[in-house]
Amino acid sequence: MSRVRTRPRIVAAAAAPLLLLAVGCGAQAGVDEEPDRVTIGFIASLSGIYQTVGEDMRDGFELYLELNDGMLGGHQVDLVIADEGDGPATALPAAERLIAQEQAVALAGVVGGGSYAAIAPLATEYEVPLVGANGRPHLEPDEVEWLWHTSFISDEPGEAIAPYVREQVGGPVYAIGPDYQGGHDELRGFVDTFTALGGELANLDGQTRWTPFPDTTDFIPYFAEIAATDAQAVYTFYAGRAAVDFVTQYAQSEISDLPLYGAFLTEGAVLDAQGEAAEGVWNVLNYSPDLDNPANRAFVAEWTARHDRVPTTFAMASYDAAMVLDRALAAIDGEVTPRAVNEAIGALGRIDSPRGPWQFSQTTHAPIQRWYLRVVDHDGGELTNVLVQDLATIGD
Amino acid sequence: MGPVETYLIPAVNGVAYGLLLFVVAAGLTLAFGAAGVLNLAHGTLYAVGAYAAAVLTDGSWLALAAAVAAGTTLGAAAGAGLAVAVAPLASRGHLSQALLTFGIALVAGALLVLAFGADDLRPVVPPVLDQPVSLAGRAYPGYRMAFIAVAAVLAVAGWAVLTRTRAGARLRAMVDDPDMLAAVGTNPRAVLAAVLAAGGAAAGFAGALGAPIIGAGPRTAEMVLLLSLVIVVLGGLGSVPGAFVAAIFVGQVQSLGVVLLPGLAPYLLFAAMAVVLLGRHRRSSGVLPGGHR
Amino acid sequence: MTAPTLRWAGDDRLSGPPVPPWAVAAAAAVLLAAGLPWLVEPYTLTTLARIMALGLLAVSVAVLTGHAGMPTLGQVAPYAVGAYTTALLAKAGHTTGPVQLLVAAGAAGLFSVLVGIPLVRTRGVVFLMVTLAVGELAAVGADQWRAVTGGTDGLAGIPAVTLTTGGDALTVTGRYWFVLGATAAALALVWWWLRSPMGMVLRGIRDNEARMHASGHHVAGVLLATYVGAGALAGVGGSLLVATQRYVSPADVSFHISALVLLAVIVGGAHSMIGAFVGAALVVTVRDWAAATVPGHGPLLLGAVFIAAVYALPNGLAGAWRPGSGAWRPGSGAHRLRRAAGRLAPWSARRGQDR
Repeated sequence: MSRVRTRPRIVAAAAAPLLLLAVGCGAQAGVDEEPDRVTIGFIASLSGIYQTVGEDMRDGFELYLELNDGMLGGHQVDLVIADEGDGPATALPAAERLIAQEQAVALAGVVGGGSYAAIAPLATEYEVPLVGANGRPHLEPDEVEWLWHTSFISDEPGEAIAPYVREQVGGPVYAIGPDYQGGHDELRGFVDTFTALGGELANLDGQTRWTPFPDTTDFIPYFAEIAATDAQAVYTFYAGRAAVDFVTQYAQSEISDLPLYGAFLTEGAVLDAQGEAAEGVWNVLNYSPDLDNPANRAFVAEWTARHDRVPTTFAMASYDAAMVLDRALAAIDGEVTPRAVNEAIGALGRIDSPRGPWQFSQTTHAPIQRWYLRVVDHDGGELTNVLVQDLATIGD
Repeated sequence: MGPVETYLIPAVNGVAYGLLLFVVAAGLTLAFGAAGVLNLAHGTLYAVGAYAAAVLTDGSWLALAAAVAAGTTLGAAAGAGLAVAVAPLASRGHLSQALLTFGIALVAGALLVLAFGADDLRPVVPPVLDQPVSLAGRAYPGYRMAFIAVAAVLAVAGWAVLTRTRAGARLRAMVDDPDMLAAVGTNPRAVLAAVLAAGGAAAGFAGALGAPIIGAGPRTAEMVLLLSLVIVVLGGLGSVPGAFVAAIFVGQVQSLGVVLLPGLAPYLLFAAMAVVLLGRHRRSSGVLPGGHR
Repeated sequence: MTAPTLRWAGDDRLSGPPVPPWAVAAAAAVLLAAGLPWLVEPYTLTTLARIMALGLLAVSVAVLTGHAGMPTLGQVAPYAVGAYTTALLAKAGHTTGPVQLLVAAGAAGLFSVLVGIPLVRTRGVVFLMVTLAVGELAAVGADQWRAVTGGTDGLAGIPAVTLTTGGDALTVTGRYWFVLGATAAALALVWWWLRSPMGMVLRGIRDNEARMHASGHHVAGVLLATYVGAGALAGVGGSLLVATQRYVSPADVSFHISALVLLAVIVGGAHSMIGAFVGAALVVTVRDWAAATVPGHGPLLLGAVFIAAVYALPNGLAGAWRPGSGAWRPGSGAHRLRRAAGRLAPWSARRGQDR
């Protein structure tokens, strides 16, 4: 198990003065006195098909901890990492263990929206804050009391890029995406905004084309269908292996000369597998490794010193989850309980993240943040996502 | 653009996909028919070939040839290894053998991920093959076109071996009546080893050549196994010609089906399976003639 | 090895068998389990409840594999039917636990009738393969049929189960008791059924189908009834899973769950109901332990245990077809079979071969 610590965790009222001291000198607390300890549970896929994403998230969180001497908000952190596996079947027992057995004051991480949806009622029932750093399922505003996200809501990328696509593409756009909730949300964000701006879908029935998920590996028939329309561009959202299949086959298909816009699509390890086929793919994301701000320069420098890959939005959002907990724990005046942590998160203001400043929306508990347009291009010989421009700040 | 042109590319594509699946499923159906082994590690044999291609290819023809040779050899060796592993369980029934192959698939799958990472890998094929080719004025990935040709040659060659050679005759006899063949002095263990090795070679070959089409990743083995199982059941257990027709059918369902019947595509395979299952009322095997048991 | 109490007297079918000591032990185990909420934390209770749900699935597999001689790889399909039926019922506002269980069992049973009619005509490796296809397709169906199953996201926000209509939602402890009670009742039912004349006919068919056929038994009918019963049992397991975790997704009914359960059955012994159940507990505990201790290496460990178990525990599997050698009522199986089917040839490879 990824932790070193002694149990049980004791949180004495006497720790309060020490806490104030800790807040006073930032993360430098505990010069000669042993700082008190808090347990944070971290859930991510360390096996299975999302392993790469899970490892990025774990590494992002651990990087923040490492840069702060293993402390968050002046407390020595016992980080308990649990394997989410392929989804809820493994994620749920893992979360239960972290909450009920390890007595974590907060949970963070979670790769899959499905896993998050499964864990969310548990966190709410046990009243433990759950700071998601990636997949976000659909949540009603009255469900989110204990639920937070440092990533984004699935329909926001499409919403952010739609005006740009409307402006750049003179004609109809073909919309295609994977047939699961996340895919529907992503495409709805684009299609609703795009058509509201007067844009027209090239799809024959005027509806987004859905591909079976996760079983679609062959997109050639869909491309043949697109070729039969008067589409001037294609908009899509795929992640993981579907993104690899889509992009590589697109480059070899009869519609390879149509501009391809997408959400995610070329983010992370998939870009290596896509190779040259990805060149020229336009994509929208809340992060780009070449963003020019102090927080990002530090983040990228520390990350690349430890890993031989560029940081991803997954790593960044987990890094931010650690930052959120750091700031929240530092703000607690008194006993560190899950409720206190939750209230402190709710009171946080601006977060100076590598993606640029953002803050939690009071209604969705997800970031109000800026979105960026990127294009896959050669940068010093390496294919990478290159920042093109800011798109919009979205969130409510 | 007329409907015929719209459907041409998906139809050709369905053939490519179907041939790929056939090369894999043929080995599974033979192992099943001739040796009574339900080889749940069959998809893993494919994955071994696929990873060999992903690792070895660098865009040159030589590397591609080396990858195909490596995939085929590794597949054959792994198949023979499986035969050795399941042989002691022959007296313990089919479930033991199936479970053992499943355990091996789990371990091998985990080792592949340990060795090559959890990401999907893509081989780099020679640039000529990466160019789209023109098909009645429509662009189609050149690699797939070449694959159709290679797989068709392999299918014809395999068919010739099965029907024209002595070994093929024995194999067919084994499918028809294992007891009879044992009575005339053919060692069932040797047949089991030969069938699993040959099936492994075909799967490894298909993996190496199929990797540029469907990739190499942690899910590859399971996906290929599932589709192969569907094909074996549809085609009649143990029947190679049946598997061929079923494979082309499955390829078309996956390709033409999503264009013709977009809403129903995910369920078409179910429907076909249900029809075959219910058809068992009257026949003891698949929808197609030539199946056994 | 044969205790006197286990032996069936000449005509005790009318008077019923004496209660054997292990039944007392089983009752004591249930009582002990019922007292656990005062001893352990809620997390352990939830884990135990999940083990019981999977345990019922394991027993369902064991009944088919060990008692009926129908080695199956597809019981996860009726398990899925039971789980999704319960989830949909609960989301539609029908939270009454016993009603959920009955409807889930009925739906899974109905599913098994439809699948079973063609299936029970096949034998051996064909049965194995077709059941595998059924199980895999059920998992794919859970993935693809978004309108009903919620697709890969699964169904979340399932209201907690109640004991009576309009009653209070059960807490973690209450849900544990509910699952425990339902499991004990289901196991008792299976136990009773396997001891019934039909259960004996079943084992007779397993060991010599032709003879049972010749002696006038409706072989296909008995096998179908067994298949449907086992399906309903798996459906109850699926229902209890949803009652426990209030969530269901394709991952809960994937082939990996089938694999886990098969491993449980190998470890526990395919013709032992209790063995399968205990096997499930062991396997789930090891899985959760592995996920916590060596995250990421669960599949490797699982596969290695699989291989080791297949080789090293032949009695687990051989017991399935060798009456009398397993842990379930030692010695009595063969004894009763002789009564039911006349003198049988010793275990032959018949069932191992195809027909």
